[in-house]
Amino acid sequence: MSNFLDDRPMPVRSLSRFLSFVLIIVIAVSGLTARLFYLQVVDGGRLATLASRNQTALEPIVSPRGLIYDRNGRALVTNVATFVVKLRPSELPLSQRPVVVERLAALLRMPAADINSTIDGNPGSNFDLVRIAADVNESTARLISEAGADLPGVEVAVEARRQYTDGPLMSQVLGYTGPVSGDQLRRLKADGYLPDDLLGKSGLEAQYETQLRGIYGSQSIEQDASGRKTQVLQAIRQAQPGDSLTLTIDTTQQRYAQTAMLWAMKTVGIKRGVVIVMNPQTGEILALVSLPTYDNNQFARGISNADYAKLLNNPDKPLLNHASQAHYPPGSTYKLVAGSGVLADGKITSKTKVATKGYLTLGSTRFYDWNHRGFGACDIYCGFGHSSDTFFFQMAGKLGIDRLGYWAKQYGFGQPTGIDLPGEVSGIVPTNQWKQDALGSKIFPGETYQAGIGQGYDVVTPIQLINAYAALANGGTLYQPQIVRDIVGPDGKVVRPFQPKVIRKLAVPASVLKTMRNAARSTVTLRHTYNLVDLPIKVAGKSGTAEFGLKDSKGRLPFHSWFVGFVPKDVRHGSFDGNDSQLVVLAFAYDSRTKGNVATEIVKYYLQMHFGIQHDYRLPNLLKRGNFYQSN
Amino acid sequence: MGVIRAEPARVSDWAANSVGAAWRAFDLQLTVYAGLLVAIGLVMAYTNSVEDGSVPLEAGTTFSRGLMWAAIAVVVFIISTAFDYRWLKTLAWPIYAFQLGLLVLTLAIGSGVGSSSRWVSIGPLTFQFSEIAKILMIIVLSAYLASRQGRLDSLFSLVGACVLVGPPLALVMLQPDLGTSLVFAGILAGMLWMSGASIRWLLIIAGGVVAMIPIAWTYLLHDYQKARLEAFFNATPDIQGAGFQLHQAQIAVGAGGLVGKGLTNGTQTQGQLLPVQATDFVFATLAEELGFIGGIVLFVLFLLLLWRVLTAGWRSRDAFGTLFAAGVASMILFQLVVNVGMVLGIMPITGIPLPFVTHGGASLVSMAAGLGILQSINIRQTRAAW
Repeated sequence: MSNFLDDRPMPVRSLSRFLSFVLIIVIAVSGLTARLFYLQVVDGGRLATLASRNQTALEPIVSPRGLIYDRNGRALVTNVATFVVKLRPSELPLSQRPVVVERLAALLRMPAADINSTIDGNPGSNFDLVRIAADVNESTARLISEAGADLPGVEVAVEARRQYTDGPLMSQVLGYTGPVSGDQLRRLKADGYLPDDLLGKSGLEAQYETQLRGIYGSQSIEQDASGRKTQVLQAIRQAQPGDSLTLTIDTTQQRYAQTAMLWAMKTVGIKRGVVIVMNPQTGEILALVSLPTYDNNQFARGISNADYAKLLNNPDKPLLNHASQAHYPPGSTYKLVAGSGVLADGKITSKTKVATKGYLTLGSTRFYDWNHRGFGACDIYCGFGHSSDTFFFQMAGKLGIDRLGYWAKQYGFGQPTGIDLPGEVSGIVPTNQWKQDALGSKIFPGETYQAGIGQGYDVVTPIQLINAYAALANGGTLYQPQIVRDIVGPDGKVVRPFQPKVIRKLAVPASVLKTMRNAARSTVTLRHTYNLVDLPIKVAGKSGTAEFGLKDSKGRLPFHSWFVGFVPKDVRHGSFDGNDSQLVVLAFAYDSRTKGNVATEIVKYYLQMHFGIQHDYRLPNLLKRGNFYQSN
Repeated sequence: MGVIRAEPARVSDWAANSVGAAWRAFDLQLTVYAGLLVAIGLVMAYTNSVEDGSVPLEAGTTFSRGLMWAAIAVVVFIISTAFDYRWLKTLAWPIYAFQLGLLVLTLAIGSGVGSSSRWVSIGPLTFQFSEIAKILMIIVLSAYLASRQGRLDSLFSLVGACVLVGPPLALVMLQPDLGTSLVFAGILAGMLWMSGASIRWLLIIAGGVVAMIPIAWTYLLHDYQKARLEAFFNATPDIQGAGFQLHQAQIAVGAGGLVGKGLTNGTQTQGQLLPVQATDFVFATLAEELGFIGGIVLFVLFLLLLWRVLTAGWRSRDAFGTLFAAGVASMILFQLVVNVGMVLGIMPITGIPLPFVTHGGASLVSMAAGLGILQSINIRQTRAAW
């Protein structure tokens, strides 16, 4: 049977073309199959790992840092949202780096060198983000985030930064936060710190870092294989906000103290000084001013290397809290130690009179009184009240250096007070043992004399000194000074309430302390500290003039000026027989340049403001007249 | 013997035959393989819809739209089967004009991503006319080459075919749609091959095309097209930018392993990790969820389908049928290789759909039309076989 269409022209049918077409199909599909086999079966394990890494990763959720309030609930620091520019070095090809850094520097208006040093100083690995600039304004942030391909590895993030309400006023107390350093990161990595993390670097921010930081949460995020976050899947653990701090500091008192100090600095030309105000009954610090200061907001915004270098190179060390991180010779304020010591040890009584002279001779050396005529026969009130050096040379001699050291340590000298600020130094209380260890010889008798009047080897921190006088004022309890009152949880509940902490009860009998309080009052009543005579409130205290450094061309030594004073509870009519004082104030003027006792003027000015005394008792002319450098 | 010979078939001849006889000539296998491929496409659309987090049957999901297009495709397939393909030879020139009209219309009123214009909206449907243009091109080329029967090895026939393909290819290129214009070239090559064109001239033209590549690179390609090609040829791909899809797709495929992760369990293709997973990258989803086995099943279905397409052409008693089958086979093969090859990282990224499987209305409808015409060819050839 033949096909009925056989006569039609056979169409174009070439078997070879047909078969070669089929062959091409088979080859093509085989090629696809081979590739699929390679990807899925041969290379499948590696790609599956990539895919799972693709899938999810854990990412920390930064917890809001705790806030800080003053004792009246005024917010001293808040968190504000800010743009931060970060860079992941691994995504920036080395060849492109100079160009990208230049471009960033121009956009951020900061030196390229700063950016380079930041990248090189990166504490984490090359795959971790490095914080390049904080507090970037919105338009710049937008420009940078849109630059994308032109700025490889550069990212813009929104973060909270610290906004310090009063800036320089509280910088010494609050400190600041800054990027974690390599050393810190190694130490803190286990605690969940990130390579681009911030942490407290000084002041309370550092001291209470653990409480303020809170606990970072974590969330699982979806990432692609190159580490880009595509979406947040779920929070594994919510971030727990940090605790807040309520300080013992009163902003108003802090401002008064700063005003008083600044006035003196301006009037006299002092460069450095400290004012501390304290409640002697509890150890609460009401004000703590250390000048010169700096603006911690500069750090919060990300300080430039140049500005930081300027702060570091300032000879008056603004970054140092001079109240607790530096020690100075205490001068005559230290006579409290020798006075309490001789009375407590029964070497003299409050009625014993001792001859004071223009000078004492020890071997061939004359030890002069500041008053080259002396004060005649003096009891403790006269000796302390006039601040007679020859009186206290003899008292120190009666005690000997080791006993003097014992009483100094009773008052808290030579050891940190334990104030809740970082980096406190301990000062030096010279003893035979100390000098043996430090200098390899015993104390000479002349050095004992010097130690009795707060010269020579003695050095104290202002916080130690005010704390010693607080113990005198409160009847013999040495408290640990505290600057944080309460620690408050994120829910507003007090986590750690304030509790006065007693370092020790002084071994000084109450009667001796009463004698010494009245002796401290006699500094005013005997008109030695004439600055305070007219003041309508009763102040007891002790001034100090502590020589330091090297003699100038006229053979004069520069000196610091101290005054530490306290008032009875009833400031106008109270008596220093009691131990009810609520207020101790200390002023320290470094290189004070005046014989007019500038520290006393500072305390007086502060007390005027504190008690709202309308009449101005300050004596600026006295300070000018006695200026060590300007007059003579 | 010889009683009814001599007369060429006419429409009335077929009408006189029983429906049963026509059914016997109908290639059921061809239809089944295509149907299975469409089913796989729908399953992929379903799993993508689930992974999107939507209810698959809700209006507007990939799956529900896929179902709708499948229904339209069935209708188109039936109509094309019933239609006597021989009319297409007669209508070749109007069809050519219609094809050019569609492409010009697309350029004029089409919309697309950025400044491109690829889609045309008709009521609620968006349609990619270039998909329809492909099947129309096959018809026109088949008619032209069939008419040149006997002179097919001449240079003139060859050049004539190229000249016919030129305008539609250029119009598609202008959209711009590099992928589809390449499909046109692929169809042309396949059909010329099967037409028995001179191998010498084919080689010379191919050489000319290769020589044109630098010029095309400089003057014809858009930046994004260059970026895609560069990403493909780059040894260390830029996985952040242009190479991102490529990289992600390969990870997805690799993650599938031998048996896959199971339907709707594709983690890589979930979310935004893999762009356009529902359309051009559908094979990545399939490979991740159904694994190597799933991929092989898909390939085997394509092989069988291509075999049936070519068989239909072989059995055709006229050149049009043979050439038409060659065109359809070329189109399917080309798109399969380029689309899957792209996902597997051995072909550059182009927006070419995977025939039958990719959700995408125009592509499926034009494939349905192509297969319908093939069936029409089948049932109108083999009367004498019994």
